[in-house]
Amino acid sequence: MSACAPKNPLPKDIDTPSSQLLVPFIAPRSELCASSSIEMLALYWHSKTSFTPALTLGELDERTLIPAKGGTLQIELIAAARADGLIAYPLRGGFESLTRELFVGHPLIVLVNRSFAWYPLWHYATLTGYNAQTQHFMTHFAKSPDELLSYSTFTAIWERSEKWGVILLPPGELPLTLEAEEIVRSIYEFESVGKIEGAIVSYETAYLRWPKDTNLLFALANAYYKTQQLQKAETIYKDILSINPAHALARNNLADLLCSMGRSYEALNIIEEATSKEAQTQSILNATHQEILQGCKKRVD
Amino acid sequence: MNFPRLMVSFLVSITLFAQVSWAQVASTEALFAHAATPTAKEKLSALTAREDVAAKFVEMGVNPELIQQRIAAMSEEEALLVSHDIDTLPAGADAGMSLLGAVVFVFIVLLVTDLLGLTKVFNFTKPIVNK
Repeated sequence: MSACAPKNPLPKDIDTPSSQLLVPFIAPRSELCASSSIEMLALYWHSKTSFTPALTLGELDERTLIPAKGGTLQIELIAAARADGLIAYPLRGGFESLTRELFVGHPLIVLVNRSFAWYPLWHYATLTGYNAQTQHFMTHFAKSPDELLSYSTFTAIWERSEKWGVILLPPGELPLTLEAEEIVRSIYEFESVGKIEGAIVSYETAYLRWPKDTNLLFALANAYYKTQQLQKAETIYKDILSINPAHALARNNLADLLCSMGRSYEALNIIEEATSKEAQTQSILNATHQEILQGCKKRVD
Repeated sequence: MNFPRLMVSFLVSITLFAQVSWAQVASTEALFAHAATPTAKEKLSALTAREDVAAKFVEMGVNPELIQQRIAAMSEEEALLVSHDIDTLPAGADAGMSLLGAVVFVFIVLLVTDLLGLTKVFNFTKPIVNK
């Protein structure tokens, strides 16, 4: 995993009317435009940061093509990008989000229908820049690098995919146009396919932007706990409870953590205050409580 | 056909086992769980989604050696979506139309419009509507 340190991601206001990113171009090679698009962004991030792609172009090809469909599903594009080491964030907010992401140096992949709904020709295009004065996007479109596409044509072919787009970023980079909840979700999906180290770097970066978001803190603390960074996990769980003492899941996990460190008295104090109206949560709380009463024997290392 | 199915079952069982040993800790997943508890049928369909996708992939000519890896990289929700909708989901490709394709396409469109009486391009067509 790349050694990207978290950095303050808050951007300046966007006034600049244009942006052009130097994204390496790879021809789509017929049915393989999804893997080409991923590779272009992977090479871009490799040139900009310490990110190193985990897969070769050949491996991306093999993981994305469905021969009988003659192309790649959106979900498989996302899954292959994760396997390559990039976190996939959904594009929200339509047209305006495209230019905002491009402005802060984030190229995007969009799905367009080059034809009409009754005769679809689906294509993944990579957006590499825009010019608000001439009303153009720059796109790596099929065989043409940095082709100029007018806003109006682009909008017409993009609306036919219900404005689907994805922002692929290496650990430590965050999209500008998403709220904390969706960012946590995207990072967690990356974490859950075995990329926890990179996920932690991104959670830590998000923490600089949203230090009081309890969902984010919960995800970060859990990731610390899973990777045996117990002191850090303890601190963050306690932060959550200082923001929201009724956070039953954080209370449960903190108690479990303390129990596993052999601090059963503290664990008991924490868990005794925890209740939840949700049956599933309550049953986890009960199980933890029970375990602590039994002296935390199972989990003491 | 049997090989990937077996491997997927194996992967699914490993995943379930891993969750058991982590039972007392609430997973981050809980943040995204739907408010309503899933029905038994939904749970079952989530469990078999990955196997269903594997079977579809085999039919669609995906390299069998990579099927498990590809499915393992999908979240549960994504696997469920693919297993339901693989036939209708769009598949992006270079997908420009070839010149021959375009010629055939234009021919068919004009033939249809001729038959509908909207055009009169060909000598051999007669409109099939409203004499």
